[in-house]
Amino acid sequence: MEQDNRSRETEQDVLIRVSHLEKHFGDQVVLNDISTDIRKGEVVCVVGPSGSGKSTFLRCLILLEQPTGGHIYMDGIDVCDRKIDIDKHREKMGMVFQQFNLFPHMTILKNLTLAPMKLQHQPQAEAEAYARELLKRVGLEDRASSYPSELSGGQQQRIAIVRALCMKPEVMLFDEPTSALDPEMVGEVLNVMKDLAADKMTMVVVTHEMGFAREVASRVMFLDGGDFVEEGAPDEFFNHPKSERLKNFLGKVL
Amino acid sequence: MLEQFQADFVLNFIKDDRWRYLTNGLQTTLIVTLCSALLGVILGFVTAIIRNTYENTGKFKIANAICNLYLTVIRGTPVVVQLMIIYFVIFASVRIDKTLTAIIAFGINSGAYQAEIFRSGIQSVPRGQFEAGRSLGFSYGQTMIYIIMPQAFRVCVPTLCNEYITLLKETSVAGYIALEDLTKGGDIIRSRTYSAFMPLIAVALIYLVMVLALTKLVSLLERRLSRGAR
Repeated sequence: MEQDNRSRETEQDVLIRVSHLEKHFGDQVVLNDISTDIRKGEVVCVVGPSGSGKSTFLRCLILLEQPTGGHIYMDGIDVCDRKIDIDKHREKMGMVFQQFNLFPHMTILKNLTLAPMKLQHQPQAEAEAYARELLKRVGLEDRASSYPSELSGGQQQRIAIVRALCMKPEVMLFDEPTSALDPEMVGEVLNVMKDLAADKMTMVVVTHEMGFAREVASRVMFLDGGDFVEEGAPDEFFNHPKSERLKNFLGKVL
Repeated sequence: MLEQFQADFVLNFIKDDRWRYLTNGLQTTLIVTLCSALLGVILGFVTAIIRNTYENTGKFKIANAICNLYLTVIRGTPVVVQLMIIYFVIFASVRIDKTLTAIIAFGINSGAYQAEIFRSGIQSVPRGQFEAGRSLGFSYGQTMIYIIMPQAFRVCVPTLCNEYITLLKETSVAGYIALEDLTKGGDIIRSRTYSAFMPLIAVALIYLVMVLALTKLVSLLERRLSRGAR
């Protein structure tokens, strides 16, 4: 009975429940039995060597990759069920890519308002007002009528974050958002992400920026070779790693 | 010499209103080119979408097989042979307008080539664009319409217009089913006057002018479309 109550309490907090998630491409196992809960307002950083499956993990959450085993529950709904409307599920998530992936044939404002207007049927004025408000927050309000090609990488990535935010998502997923940037532009993007975290946005961040993870994450996950090896609060994670594999990894990157 | 030229000109174009062979022929050529280009766009576009959707999602398996057969057969045989088969075999027992036959033949032929142009255009759009669209919550179709197609179209335009220019010139074989197009018109004049130079050069010049005009049009369109790209 007590057990039941407790699980119900945490249940309310959990936004995404990943349960025994598996993904393989042919014979190659990319994700091996990953289970974790992502709670509302949490900032989860996922780190690991390249090829460890961390990007695939993120892409499974938004179903850009179809998991080959296990389940992902969002708001208690199994999104791996082929009967659910995947597009509706994706509307609740924002994704930021390594390569920005802004739409080059549209102005910035159009990039930001396309999805809200077409999918959520927001009136143009409302969508644009919200887009401009967010642009202001990231300091790019004067670029609304520019095209993506006229912007620097850092600016494009900030726009990409805003584009996802315009859909008012419940969770933001970041797939190595600063890896394609020139070093001097990394800071401006990380600052936007820190802002978001301070606003209690739920975030899952695949990153190589250990400084960011240490400073902002509420929890750091370590994936290696498709295995979920270890996780912990940043302080614990970085200063007192338990497993050999994590010690080894941290020894290389810190 | 000038007198000779003048006499030739009068003989080939003025006498018996022979210039009408050229203008009527030109009209037929333009109608056939325009209509078959249009038919080709529809066929090509549908084929490209089916093939692309099949590759991405595995849907439309049977339609995809039909499309592949269509592309193989049409691109593997000469257009003149296709034209003659359609006129003399398929429509053998029906009296059908020759212009319409030509439109159908050239349209089906051009559709196969345009399908490949559309498809390569779609494939030239980086995968990330597709994923960005889907991750925002757009369906496969919406992503195609709002995000992929406009970018693919931009890539396609030059190649597509080259296809139309080729098509314009290709319709000159319509004489094989005795359709009086521009080429046939020039040839009729030649057979009446026994002088080949003037009518054939005139025909060539008319084609050349049309091709140059089209080419100019394409470059203007390309410049308009390049706004904001890359």
